Amino acid sequence: MSGSLTSIYSSISYALSLHGKSILQLQEQAASGNRVNRGSDSPSDAYRILGLNSQERSLQSYQENVKELIGNLEISSTIIGDMSTELASSLTLLTQIVGGVHDDAGQKRIADKLNNSLEQLVSLANTKHASQYLFGGNDTSIAPYVVQREGGKIVSVTYQGSYASRYVDVAPGLQIESYHVGDEVFRANYRQTPLFLGSSGVTAGTGTSTVQGDVWMTVEHDGTNYRISIDDGATFVTVPAEGSTNLAVTDSRTGRVLYVDTTGITGTGTELVRVPGTYNVFSTLISLRDLLQNERGLNTQELLNYVDECVAAVEEVRHLLVQKEVSTGSKIGFLSTLSKNLEDMEFDTKDETTRLQEADISQIAIDLSRREVLYQMSLSVAGKLMSMSLLDFIS
Amino acid sequence: MQNFSIGLSGLNAASSALEVIGNNIANASTAGYHRQRVELTPTTYGRMAQNAVGAGVDIAGVTRLIDKLLEAEIMQQGSSYEQISQELSILTAVETTFGEFAEGSGLNATIDAFFDSLRGLAAHPLERVWRNDVVSCAEVMCSEFRRMGASLSNLEDQVVLEAKNTGESINSLIKQIAELNGKIQVIEISQGQANNLRDHRDQLIVELAKLASVETTDREHGIVDVSMGGLPIVTGAITVEIQVGLRDDGSLGVSAGNSNGYGITVQGGRLGGLMSLKNELLQGIATDLDHLAQEIVASVNQIHVQGLGVSGSFTELSGGTLDATSLVGKDARVKDGTFYIRVTNTATGEINRYEIDVNASGASPDTSQTIAAKINAIPGLNASILSSRLHIVADLGYKFDFVPAVMSEPTAVAFTGSSPPTVTLSGIYKGDQNDTFTFTVVGTGTVGNGNLRLDVTDGNGDLVSTVNIGGGYAAGDVIELFNGIQISISTGNLNAGDFFQTLGLASSDTSGFLAAAGMNTFFSGDSAGKMQLVDSIAGTPDRIATAYGADLTDNIAALRLAAVRDQGLDGLTGMTPSEYYHRIVANIGQQVDLRESRQSNVEAMIQNLENRRSEISDVNINDEAAQLMIFEKMFQAVAKYLTTLQSIMNTLMGMV
Repeated sequence: MSGSLTSIYSSISYALSLHGKSILQLQEQAASGNRVNRGSDSPSDAYRILGLNSQERSLQSYQENVKELIGNLEISSTIIGDMSTELASSLTLLTQIVGGVHDDAGQKRIADKLNNSLEQLVSLANTKHASQYLFGGNDTSIAPYVVQREGGKIVSVTYQGSYASRYVDVAPGLQIESYHVGDEVFRANYRQTPLFLGSSGVTAGTGTSTVQGDVWMTVEHDGTNYRISIDDGATFVTVPAEGSTNLAVTDSRTGRVLYVDTTGITGTGTELVRVPGTYNVFSTLISLRDLLQNERGLNTQELLNYVDECVAAVEEVRHLLVQKEVSTGSKIGFLSTLSKNLEDMEFDTKDETTRLQEADISQIAIDLSRREVLYQMSLSVAGKLMSMSLLDFIS
Repeated sequence: MQNFSIGLSGLNAASSALEVIGNNIANASTAGYHRQRVELTPTTYGRMAQNAVGAGVDIAGVTRLIDKLLEAEIMQQGSSYEQISQELSILTAVETTFGEFAEGSGLNATIDAFFDSLRGLAAHPLERVWRNDVVSCAEVMCSEFRRMGASLSNLEDQVVLEAKNTGESINSLIKQIAELNGKIQVIEISQGQANNLRDHRDQLIVELAKLASVETTDREHGIVDVSMGGLPIVTGAITVEIQVGLRDDGSLGVSAGNSNGYGITVQGGRLGGLMSLKNELLQGIATDLDHLAQEIVASVNQIHVQGLGVSGSFTELSGGTLDATSLVGKDARVKDGTFYIRVTNTATGEINRYEIDVNASGASPDTSQTIAAKINAIPGLNASILSSRLHIVADLGYKFDFVPAVMSEPTAVAFTGSSPPTVTLSGIYKGDQNDTFTFTVVGTGTVGNGNLRLDVTDGNGDLVSTVNIGGGYAAGDVIELFNGIQISISTGNLNAGDFFQTLGLASSDTSGFLAAAGMNTFFSGDSAGKMQLVDSIAGTPDRIATAYGADLTDNIAALRLAAVRDQGLDGLTGMTPSEYYHRIVANIGQQVDLRESRQSNVEAMIQNLENRRSEISDVNINDEAAQLMIFEKMFQAVAKYLTTLQSIMNTLMGMV
């Protein structure tokens, strides 16, 4: 190599520049704690890190939804459990009535208790959590159940919420219902053949009736034909003389239809018709309360028989609630597991990001030390080379 | 008297050599200086008796110690180095602009935050706070896009300015080179040596090579011609100046000698680097970023235009600017198709859906005016073009929207029973393509009785479902089909062959017109630098479309908006928006990393070449000091020789 001043200077400045750049890079890594501070530090790792960062944020967003969903479901489950407990105590009282434990006054008191339970259950069904109604389906902004009252007493409870569920993203490619559709929670939906509890001889027709829950059927004879009403006499349907296996009797108040077979009709009277598989919590309690208040003037034995039959209705809706509580519990369990899995995924993602991005501090210290030595050596050599020349030895 | 001539020639030679050595030492640190050496040759010998003897020493010339091939290689590598350094400098600035990996910064986080906010809105579509969150996240994302678009645009402007300045610097250098060519020629034509001028000129050529890659041609009398990109810019003492400017397509180019067009492309050097930055690298990054912005805007808008927020249907709607002559000219996404408008009579509750065909191509394509006229023909609506924007206003007592919800009444009914039932439809169609479904009655009887059923066929006549409405079906109950359509049949009589139809809309706009016209869109802008949240959404977050259903309580629109994050988009070569952006960042990083490597390699190569050159051409003080001593001794020896001759002559003279 030439000993010219220019070449010495050029080589030294190149070496110093080389070591200086490395020292700066190591310094940046030490200061930030990261090996990758920009895309050019390691393009493939940078691409991976960006993807992992996005994935982490996405997982956090899913986690928020899952946790909120678990909170909603836990409260819903508690409410359903409370309602089930309330029904259980009502069932106990009804069983006592059937067993003859209570007299008329006692029955009236139980009717009042059932009324209180009804108010309680409606309130529970209209529970709000974090400003959203829990049992309104998609529509969480309005109370799902609205009551109609007469004389201060609830005569009907109508569902005005949405019949569609709201689905939320809880994991990649997975959506879960977030709010219950109250009508699906508090009403059975496995319609069965109506049961006629009286002695009129009328039975279920071949058509599929649309009435729900308990219906009071009145059978009269006008001297020529029998006639039947299910809207407390507001309208009547005349039974053909030869009878009919599938006569449609319409409730003018609701438009719902009861198909009856009148071929075996033998007498008149008012009787209760039950439609298993269609009961809802509220109408069941309304029916029972009204039954116990005996505004229809039933005799004691009739009343007790009907109460005995209605116990099945209460059991049906209670069973519904128990099932829902179990399924909600199961969903909570699934979501808890999902939440744990998402947490694990988030942790693994963070861990991988750390492995890719974080600097090895001990290695940085070693490299820094090495570079510093090289830097100093370059300076030292430069000093020695530039300080000696032949001119120093020429006299 | 030959003796004295020999002595004198020696003194001259030593003296000249000492001058050259002095010049070398004086220029030891001069950039571009090549050390010189005196070339000495023995003088033509004479004869003395039978013996041939020399007649002293002649100065044959003063030569520069230079390796032309090595110099050319260094110049070429220097040119490459400057180009790489220029590109690296700007690309590093771009990388800094993107700002990823710095805590809390970067477009990646804002894109994720925007789609996360949509996911939160989907879980809470009826709550104000989540809508506000979407608005603020959208504004932050748009702001970041605009900042990056503006930064890239500014960098491009700076590159153009820098390129023009470099062009001026090139012109200045070539003038100096030409001038030196002239001076060298004058001297060397007269048998002179113009080594210092050559060094100066060669140094200027090296400086020129750093600005742009050049080729040199040596000619007689020391002239060097220079060409750049095949264009002669220095021919002897004559120059051809260059101009740097923008071509019609916006790319950077060079023209020479006042010709038009800027058709020349330069490689190497700073100018080559600036040109590749403007014409390829920066252009590519800006194009990618614009693609990303366009696809996010288009994908979000295509979903948003069809939905409704909690504020409900519209009484008035204005869009963005439209090309008056062609729908496609405004947005190439507009194609032949149909969009549907629902009009609600708020007094009676009656809802009607109207179909508007869009002919985007073909012999007589639609224009904004013809579309406005079609909308204007709908009862209850008035449409016009004002300031190139589509403007729709509902009459008093009417509202309109574009939701794809299933209409509550069938689009066609043919019942022949004496007391036909009422059919009520609802739900949100989940299919991929718009289709008309026909529900045909099989059997005769009363709903809820016997073996009555509905056969459901699609637009192709294929049976897609059968629905029991006989025994086992309670009239009035809601049945949900597999495709999301819900039907409810009241009590009534039906005969075999009776039917009704409904339209299932996967999209209420298959033409893309609504999004192109800016009707109920979420974003506006066709590039990163212009991306914006529309004012109506920013000012009224209740207008954010969350629902596709008629009762506005569902979250289907919000779910689909959030799902754009994980969708592979055709315009992004099948990548999701995040993946596409990650690729942009990684590509920039790769470009920078590649250039850093190349810069290091070229720098090392130049260092090696320069070391080799310095061995040949640089002034080594030790070497010059040794030469100094040699010629000093020579001078002293020759002087002693002359003194001895003088003494001999004096002795001879004394003898006479």
